[in-house]
Amino acid sequence: MGSAQPTAVELEGDLRRRLADAEETLRAIREGDVDALVVRGEQQDEIFALGGQDSYRAFMEAMDIGAAALDSEGKLIYANSALCSLLGRSPTELQSEGIYPALGETAARRVGELVGEAANNRRSRQVALPCARGSCHVEVAVAPLSMGFGHGHALTFTDVTERIEAAALHESDRIGRAIMASSNEAVIVVNRDGRITHANAGVRQFYEGGLIGHAFDHAFALDFPISSGLMSASDLIEVALAGTALRSIEAQFPNGQQAQDVLVGAGPLRQADDVIYGCIVTMTDVTERKAIEKRQTLLMSELTHRVRNTLTLVMSIANRTITGAKDLAEFRSSFSNRLQALAATHNLLAVGVWDALTLEELLTAELAPYVSIGSERIQLEGGNARVSADTAVALGLIFHELVTNAVKYGALSNENGTVSIRALREDYAVKIVWQELGGPVVVHPEKMGFGQTLIARGLGQGTKVEFLPEGVVCTMSVPNEKIEL
Amino acid sequence: MNDGIQRRKLTLYVAGQTPKSVTAIRNLERIVEEHLAGQYEIEVVDLREHPQLAREHNIVAIPTLVRSLPVPVQKIIGDLSDREKVLVHLQVEG
Repeated sequence: MGSAQPTAVELEGDLRRRLADAEETLRAIREGDVDALVVRGEQQDEIFALGGQDSYRAFMEAMDIGAAALDSEGKLIYANSALCSLLGRSPTELQSEGIYPALGETAARRVGELVGEAANNRRSRQVALPCARGSCHVEVAVAPLSMGFGHGHALTFTDVTERIEAAALHESDRIGRAIMASSNEAVIVVNRDGRITHANAGVRQFYEGGLIGHAFDHAFALDFPISSGLMSASDLIEVALAGTALRSIEAQFPNGQQAQDVLVGAGPLRQADDVIYGCIVTMTDVTERKAIEKRQTLLMSELTHRVRNTLTLVMSIANRTITGAKDLAEFRSSFSNRLQALAATHNLLAVGVWDALTLEELLTAELAPYVSIGSERIQLEGGNARVSADTAVALGLIFHELVTNAVKYGALSNENGTVSIRALREDYAVKIVWQELGGPVVVHPEKMGFGQTLIARGLGQGTKVEFLPEGVVCTMSVPNEKIEL
Repeated sequence: MNDGIQRRKLTLYVAGQTPKSVTAIRNLERIVEEHLAGQYEIEVVDLREHPQLAREHNIVAIPTLVRSLPVPVQKIIGDLSDREKVLVHLQVEG
């Protein structure tokens, strides 16, 4: 019958089997073949680990360094939770797909090479891994590992992303500061509130004293031209904080009594996640450059004006010289001399970049072929009188005629004659008197030559030539606005 | 009796990833691959996750390999690193 009680033989057999099981279990525990036991509980059975292995494993699980064990064929035997978390995989996923696919192609190849190199010794290398939060830098160390079933490798993965990023940040910060320090421009960093957080040494050309913490638009109350579209410095900061970079905007910085011309640039400062956390402003002082540009423009128009005047003058000189010349040889000589006189004055003016000349400089140029200013025959008073460029050209030609006349017929035609030139200040003008003494007795000329015409008209009204018997006296009057004494 | 349709089953009881559990799994995989390919249905039971399953085969020590079919039931305790012993218990010539 199927429901029959077990026979005595069956019971004995069962008991013997149980006894053998118990003896085998005891032997296995005694000989260290097991590392965990099932302990019967009232509610449910519990697993109890033997020896220190379990606490070691608990330690492995608790540590924040990723750890894994691979067998000799590279199969994953164990991966701790830190590694699972680093690679963004569950323990089951890692167990089924293996560790290499989770590392990505490049890192898998590099770790594979490292495992190959670590047959006998520990090896480590830094690799970039795709990880749960995108990409990270990991120091991977591989060491040979002896296991119950053969040899394999122990791997640790230390996340050094923060360290590398901090080092990179430190380096870029250092480079940024070096660039700021070496720049001749003023470089100013402004935060989202419009307050200055950094400024380089270049700002001292605009601002003395501490700037950090000040509102940019208060520290630099810049005036922008209407064409820039900016009303004030705060507009500049707002545009930059909104993400637009501005370059080479002309502005004026009212620094004390004298405004400085500046070129201003501004651009946003972005964090790694593209969020704008401030802006950087650069300022270059172009006051001097602007002044030079203005002066160049002025000089160009002045030059055009003078060339036109000079050509008219040359034509006039030619016409008048032809009228008074006896023959071609005399014309050539007179015309050439007059042009040289004109050229001498122009040379002086060019050296002074078309600026004012002194009376002494003019006279030196005209007298040079015959006598020097320092000689006993020439007495100069008020030689430092400074005449404007236009007046210099006219005076130069007048002195040329006076000197030529004196050398030919007057005080400089003999060995004893002298010439005194005096500049005397009057109410609205400076009177210049050319007076010859000690030359041959002067006879009034029968007709007005070009020289006399020029002398009489060169400076307009107020010029007078007297042919006194003891010597020629020429009195010229130069209005105060054209001469400075 | 027909050996062709005889069911054969091996159950390995482990406790999570204790070293001997891991080693036993590896050793069993190799033994099966090299000597018993296709002959056995193999099951690995993690008693940390399912402690109640210990009672079916009266498991006390871990790791333990149980040949539940064919009867009689055979048990081998340890990490199965003694391959000859395992093959003898499973009645397979080494």
